[in-house]
Amino acid sequence: MTHPPTVLIADDEPVLREALARLLAELWPELRVVAQARNGREAIAMFEEHRPDVCFLDVQMPGLSGVEAARAIGHRAHLVFVTAFEQYAVEAFARGALDYLVKPVERDRLRETVERLRERLRTVQPPPAATDELIRELAARLSAAPRDTRLRWLRAGSGQATRLIPVEEIDFLRADEKYTLVGWRGDGARPGEALVRTPLKELAGQLDPEQFVQVHRSVIVNLGSVSHVTRGLNETATIHLKGRPETLPVSRAYAHLFRQM
Amino acid sequence: MSSSPGPLQMKLPSTAAAPAGLTSVLGLRRLAIMLMVAVPIAALISIDSETRFATWLARSIIVGTGALVGFGLAESRPRRLPRWLGRWVFQLLAMALAVPFAAYAAYWITVGGAPEFMANPKRFVGFGQLTIAGIFFGAWVALGAMIRQRDARAHALSLAFERERRELERQAVEARTQLLRSQIQPHFLFNTLANIQALVETGSPHAPQVLASLIAYLKAAVPQLDETVSTVGREVELARAYLELMRMRMPDRLRFALDIDPSVLACRCPPTTLLTLVENAVRHGIDPAEDGGAIDVAVKRSGGDVLIRVEDTGVGPGVSGAGTGTGLKALRERLTMAFGDAAALRLFERPPHGFIAEVQFPAETG
Repeated sequence: MTHPPTVLIADDEPVLREALARLLAELWPELRVVAQARNGREAIAMFEEHRPDVCFLDVQMPGLSGVEAARAIGHRAHLVFVTAFEQYAVEAFARGALDYLVKPVERDRLRETVERLRERLRTVQPPPAATDELIRELAARLSAAPRDTRLRWLRAGSGQATRLIPVEEIDFLRADEKYTLVGWRGDGARPGEALVRTPLKELAGQLDPEQFVQVHRSVIVNLGSVSHVTRGLNETATIHLKGRPETLPVSRAYAHLFRQM
Repeated sequence: MSSSPGPLQMKLPSTAAAPAGLTSVLGLRRLAIMLMVAVPIAALISIDSETRFATWLARSIIVGTGALVGFGLAESRPRRLPRWLGRWVFQLLAMALAVPFAAYAAYWITVGGAPEFMANPKRFVGFGQLTIAGIFFGAWVALGAMIRQRDARAHALSLAFERERRELERQAVEARTQLLRSQIQPHFLFNTLANIQALVETGSPHAPQVLASLIAYLKAAVPQLDETVSTVGREVELARAYLELMRMRMPDRLRFALDIDPSVLACRCPPTTLLTLVENAVRHGIDPAEDGGAIDVAVKRSGGDVLIRVEDTGVGPGVSGAGTGTGLKALRERLTMAFGDAAALRLFERPPHGFIAEVQFPAETG
């Protein structure tokens, strides 16, 4: 290797970027810091520009994470992940035999990492191609775990700011032409109503089916808000709600849901 | 534990028993007690009578059964009684009414046909004896039974109270545990310590101040387990310490301003109310935004209430996914526990991007 080794450091916290740069300068004097990135997107752009030999990537960064940046960089550089204490990420790195450091970074631990990297660069070992596969898996695992496609809140227009209605506070939803009327627990758990622009049909698929049940072509009810159900004519029924006067119709097609109650 | 008057929604056993079938109206236990009374009555009457003891026993048992049916049916039928008529009075009346009929029936059965009292004055005397004994002893046994029942109900009631109290205690413990869990976030702690270590190593003049902020934060954030009430002032200091730490960590991405009305500082406030809102603003608003944003905290008086408002210009609420949900839900529970219906938590989307959270609760001091 003729040119001095180069490194990219990516971390959204400037104090930590500087600290790592300083420690590296002490432990690996000939290493040159060619780029410091504040997020995953910058890391990828700077990598393409400078093509450093080594990348230190903070896992948690705004926008694109360190793992996502690693996916883009792949085996074109030696990668070292840096993470704050986070059990499951650390486990994933250890299992995947990827290089990683835990914050606060310990000098001895970094020295080991530096020696390993030096060895690889001296023997002109390319970064293992298997890394790509590992990172892809890791990215899938890290991003898939916390993502939840269920609706968390509804937006209801009120003045210039849009009121957010947490889903767990909804008592019922009722189709109202193109809109949906929402009965929910407003201020201080008092019953309130709001109009939402999303049609009921669209909302139906995004709610927790364990909690919200369609009881009529135009009505969805939160099971936790049902007080009791009275039987009507023609196999229909009427739902009475806890702490609010409105009643909801149950049509024949859905009456079987309450037969046991 | 300091008092936090909350709404106690007692689930009491309903006082009117559900209408029961004939088996439970009679009941084995009741039948046994009735027999214990009927046998001596039959014996007493038969001493001075020409009629056999067995006949008297049969009559006595029939009267006892009649009294029991009257008493038992009136226990739950009709469902509602006029307010001036106590259920126990009604039951006694029903029993007293049932006894003469039962006595008449007893004679009918034991003499095989109409007893013809006019022609048989002895039978009429016997009928009178049977009726009076039935009403007298019936009332006596019935009152005893009702007293026992009332004791049992009081016992069930106290059990229900006890259960409710336990449930409230459990909720309180859970809320505190949630506090513990939500605050000591290893990720936050180690990242902050990494920053402080770096500042100390470079001999930064900011190091002592940042360390002081962390200590202030930890002092307030590690909950004293017996403390369920904090003050607005303490909450503001906790939020300030947290925001200062975060600004040290992301100086290029986080700006914040606090606008505090000093007259509400002494008001009581559930612990970590403001911190929850501010942490949410950082974690779910500013931190995910590449360019960060600003957080504005306003604490003021609004009528007789304290109004806390935290506004951020971060990425705003995602439509779906986990995250802020649990923290806000726990906060809502803490508010309800402390203030009942008088507290409110309102969330808004801030145009063009960002999030607004408002908490309002009665301004109470001490």
